[in-house]
Amino acid sequence: MNGAGEPLVRGEGLTRAFKRRGSLFRRGAPVMALRGVDITVHRGEAVGVVGESGCGKSTLGRVLLRLMPPTDGRVLFEGQDLAQQPAARLRMLRRRMQMVFQDPYGSLDPRRTVGAQIADGMEIHGLAEGHTARDRVAALLRQVGLDPDHARRLPHEFSGGQRQRIAVARALATEPDFIVADEPVSALDVSIQAQVVNLLADLRAELGLALLFISHDLHVVRHLCDRLVVMYLGRVMEEGPARDIFLAPAHPYTRALLAATPSLSHGGGQGAPLAGEVPSIANPPSGCVFRTRCPMAQPECGAEVPPLRPMPGMSGRQIACRRAEELAP
Amino acid sequence: MRRISLRSLALPGALVAAIVLLAIAAPLLPLPDPVRQDVANRLARPSLMHWLGQDEYGRDVLSRIVWGARVSLSVAFAAALMAAAVGTLAGILGGYFRGMVELVTVRVAEVVLCFPPLLLALLVVTLMGPGAGTLVFSLAILFAPGFARVAYAETLSARALDYVTAQEALGARTGRILFRTLLPNIAPPLIVQFSLTVASAMVLESGLSFLGLGVVPPSPSWGLMIRGARASMEQAPLLLFWPCLALTGTVLVLNLFCDRLRDVLDPRGKAAGRPGFLRRLVALPPAAARPASVTPGLLAMEGLTLEVPSPAGPVQVVRDVSFQLAPGETLAIVGESGSGKTLTGLAVMGLLPAAVRPTAGRILFTGRDGQVVDLLRLPEPEMRRLRGRDLAMIFQDPSSSLNPLVRIGTQVAESLRAHGTTRGTRERVVALLRQVGLPDPERAADAYPHEVSGGQRQRVMIAAAIANHPRLLLADEPTTALDVTVQAQILALLAELKRAEGAMGMVFITHNLAVVNKIADRVLVMYAGEVVEEGPVAEIFAAPRHPYTRALIASMPEGDAERLTAIPGAVPQPWAMPVGCRFAPRCDAAAEACHATAPVLEDVSPGRRARCLRWKEMA
Repeated sequence: MNGAGEPLVRGEGLTRAFKRRGSLFRRGAPVMALRGVDITVHRGEAVGVVGESGCGKSTLGRVLLRLMPPTDGRVLFEGQDLAQQPAARLRMLRRRMQMVFQDPYGSLDPRRTVGAQIADGMEIHGLAEGHTARDRVAALLRQVGLDPDHARRLPHEFSGGQRQRIAVARALATEPDFIVADEPVSALDVSIQAQVVNLLADLRAELGLALLFISHDLHVVRHLCDRLVVMYLGRVMEEGPARDIFLAPAHPYTRALLAATPSLSHGGGQGAPLAGEVPSIANPPSGCVFRTRCPMAQPECGAEVPPLRPMPGMSGRQIACRRAEELAP
Repeated sequence: MRRISLRSLALPGALVAAIVLLAIAAPLLPLPDPVRQDVANRLARPSLMHWLGQDEYGRDVLSRIVWGARVSLSVAFAAALMAAAVGTLAGILGGYFRGMVELVTVRVAEVVLCFPPLLLALLVVTLMGPGAGTLVFSLAILFAPGFARVAYAETLSARALDYVTAQEALGARTGRILFRTLLPNIAPPLIVQFSLTVASAMVLESGLSFLGLGVVPPSPSWGLMIRGARASMEQAPLLLFWPCLALTGTVLVLNLFCDRLRDVLDPRGKAAGRPGFLRRLVALPPAAARPASVTPGLLAMEGLTLEVPSPAGPVQVVRDVSFQLAPGETLAIVGESGSGKTLTGLAVMGLLPAAVRPTAGRILFTGRDGQVVDLLRLPEPEMRRLRGRDLAMIFQDPSSSLNPLVRIGTQVAESLRAHGTTRGTRERVVALLRQVGLPDPERAADAYPHEVSGGQRQRVMIAAAIANHPRLLLADEPTTALDVTVQAQILALLAELKRAEGAMGMVFITHNLAVVNKIADRVLVMYAGEVVEEGPVAEIFAAPRHPYTRALIASMPEGDAERLTAIPGAVPQPWAMPVGCRFAPRCDAAAEACHATAPVLEDVSPGRRARCLRWKEMA
């Protein structure tokens, strides 16, 4: 799938700054949530974006869908720069790219029936109305494993897992090519997580969807994604085929993240847990942003930002670390 | 829920309708002409002809009140509607677009708020001349900023919500987002504002008419009536009473109606309940005398059953939960949401939510002095003495469980002071913060909660919890809100504390089996309010005897399987529990008997129990 023609979505040098309110006498320095991130998603490909809070993964998702404009860089959808599209054209393009949110309780309007909300997309884009829309809503509900009769109910009558299915149905209603799923299972119970992950996997296989799956849980991503992007403080640390990264994480941060994730087999926290916490995004370390917590950090790591470069000896892998050569197998 | 609230609308609705109908039907009613004077009978007492008497010009009071209602109500409603439309539009636009739009809408509206209302009305009336039309206009100007403020504030908080972003992502036009998504969701406070506005508009209308700036005499209006009655207050005090009664009555009915309307419009219903200290007064059946042979260890829960009321009678949310905890032991309670694990924990702390009522069981706790008390029946003052000293709790969300306005050190010191420490608190607080691994504890003690990260806040919570060396530490999902690398640190800290406080028992509530594996000695698996399996962690993970435990382990996203193993369906609702085994509808090993017979918790091996008819086959 990789490299076959123009990617469906391509982000180039994406940077996003948030203004911060300063004090009376000092202007607030902007917070850089995203710093020069390049990302591509091909048709039908599932890309996982992993990292801890403040790594910019959610911002990346929203910038790619142009729910917020990037401060710098551009997003190409089928080669068309989203920033150059007139408002009407952008609204048309939105039909083809959708989003599933983290919080199944906040992402549905509490006052409108589930059916009406699923039908919204069709109505907005004039895809179906009246009978056809109702039939399509019923079909979508069935597709995500719910009872078509549920269309008349309000969101609060459903459990978290069911709501997330409704949110998926709403995203599917416009027959998109690309879905950004921002931590769609983090708020769900483990057994329900598996249901939703499997649902997304099935839909992907069935409909040929491209998926950007944002998560803090490496294990969940592994089951769904072809490619993995590991982020830390607004930068990409490592990128490559998901399976390879799991078998042999290269970047010290990826290794730490994998080791810290509790698991049944090793009980989590192999070795000492990573010291300290994610530094404030408002005041990131110089040079390599991970160096303050990196077990392999050297004084030189603070000098300059290590570029993302091909990992020696590993095909398709890219890593942002000065000491990549030493990390190679 | 919905039907009940609709019924609650009936009485105020009928009252409002009666008032409005009466005003509309005034010309049809057999009332004397409200402006016809009868000076001979001025200030006459109530009679058969004039039920409420006659005023200073001999006009019929009842007739003037009914006719006056037309004026007062129409002026008040017209003004309130106009103000609501203009103000809401300004607020919603300002809140959604921010920037320049905000400046010209909301900020301009705020300028109006700066004028004293009566002065502003006086100004408008002076410029435009008195009359009902002017009155509506000036009242609308006065009240619009209130709507703008409310709509603006609500829009600001609503526009950040995911379902608004979702509309954007769907490609909805701005108008659609504003009026189909935002407006209905910010409506409830606006409705309240509307009721308040109608009420104040009526009062202000009366006031302005009273001053001679509103309705022009001889047209009847309640304000004019009050004005007229004032002069003859001493001869005929009742004349003042009737319009005032009409005014207050209508205002109160309107307020009631709008309050109820808001509740009905909220699909989620409203919270109910009494304050905590009243809750513990509920009668519990006296516990059976404790058999002498039972040694409670540190904590022994026996047959705890909790109920919540529902329209169809009380439903059990926790049923017959029993477990024991030895000093120094860590027990993990595992379950999905709706399993009753958190309620079980809160019952130990005596912090059950208002609606939840314990109906059976007891919670035996061995205090510092070796005395055994039943926490479920302990009076609140004694419970309070135990809480924070012998019993401590850590909550899931460290950002909402710390008071944002109080320094970290003070909050930790509070738990020390509440239990008698008065001297050397500062040193002790710093020592505690150091113990929980906060970098630079002296400075951290003076910091506010927002100045430290989420993981650090959880460390502060832990410091406050262990301040008095509790005998039992209850941790409810303490790492769920944290990043994985920080979660690993907090788990390591809790393990370290257990080593340091040798006799401290810990109950660790979580939904994450992998965390259990790391921290606990024994595990209690709960499903739909019942204990389904209990035993040592290693044994349970190696060989679960209950299909639910097995399925839960299998659903962990690990291993190389292409597909995750999901448990089909969802946890049954407490009011729709299956007759037989509660897990049977989702169980892949369910036999026919499972759907008919509710299994009991059986001893599987020493220290292990399981609630499954087929546990022998699960090995």
